[in-house]
Amino acid sequence: MAGASMKDIKLRIRSVESTMQITKAMQLVASSKLRGARARMEASRPYMKVARTAIWDIALHNTGAQSHYVVPREVKHRCYIVIAGDRGLAGSYNSNMFKRIEWDSRDANWCVIPIGRKARDYYAHQGVPIITEIEKVEGLTLEQCGEIAQHILDAYDDGTYEEIVLAYTSFVSVLTQKTKLKPLLPLDAHDAPERTNRQMLCEPDADSMLKGFLPQYLAGLIYSAACDSFASEQAARRVAMDSATKNAGEMIEDLSLRYNRARQSSITQELTEIVAGAEH
Amino acid sequence: MAMIHLTIVTPEGKFYDDDAQRVMVRTTGGEVAILPRHIDYSASLGEGEARVTEADGNVRRAKVSGGILHVASDQVHVITQRFEWAEQ
Repeated sequence: MAGASMKDIKLRIRSVESTMQITKAMQLVASSKLRGARARMEASRPYMKVARTAIWDIALHNTGAQSHYVVPREVKHRCYIVIAGDRGLAGSYNSNMFKRIEWDSRDANWCVIPIGRKARDYYAHQGVPIITEIEKVEGLTLEQCGEIAQHILDAYDDGTYEEIVLAYTSFVSVLTQKTKLKPLLPLDAHDAPERTNRQMLCEPDADSMLKGFLPQYLAGLIYSAACDSFASEQAARRVAMDSATKNAGEMIEDLSLRYNRARQSSITQELTEIVAGAEH
Repeated sequence: MAMIHLTIVTPEGKFYDDDAQRVMVRTTGGEVAILPRHIDYSASLGEGEARVTEADGNVRRAKVSGGILHVASDQVHVITQRFEWAEQ
């Protein structure tokens, strides 16, 4: 029995070792991608801050009437733009997002615009209506975001949806990422600066400025959320692969101990047999 | 001398964040120059050249495509999709 299990243990060790090599490689790839992703994420933040102030200034403080992009409507149809990962093996990164949306979407009819392969596969499998999709989060361009922004604006204007929500994962630190749901349309009232009596002159006029700038602003929002999510995905994968590598190391230690014990006992047994044979 | 604080941003990064004497941009209605103590103002930007007169009088030229110009109490923001300095 000892001899047979020695071979089994050896095989097991070898298989755990090769798994460990893979997890270690994935961890290294995720770390290096994380560096680039964080730089892109940081670069997109000033735009968001400045553009948000500007769009609210135009929407609220203008000399003309209030825009219909600001006033909430009763929500019967909601569209989620879901940014998830391109790949799995990133801990609970993808499943957290899907769970959050399932929870949030109970009160209305909904459909999705998935960004990232995992999101698309998941919703295709679940049978949730998919309006349009982008397969890869990695290397997402502003132009692609612009197409989606135009699409949702048109659908919002003709009343297909009363609310459009962007679902992404916000990068807090390498160890913490948070799923976020951000209303895109109507514009998120939490972002609004305090109302003042300041009046602003808009040229040509506030309405046509909003029409012209909103697609760009929404594209910027989607782009920056995608940068945030991609950084989160890499961080989640790095941590998941780090702990997988550690677990594999522990497993190998444990298995080597068992291997040595089995070896020792088989030697002891053989010796006992020889000695017993000599005594006769 | 009074200055404006100019910030130029695109979703891909920040291109300018400093004091300036003057900025000229092409809006959809035509060329506009913003000097210190301008009233609060915003306008859609067209495609065209922007000229920034820096605090030391040096003039830098750049290409701007789309977006908006936003002026609020001497804080001038150029928020655009694409921005390129001419000298690079």
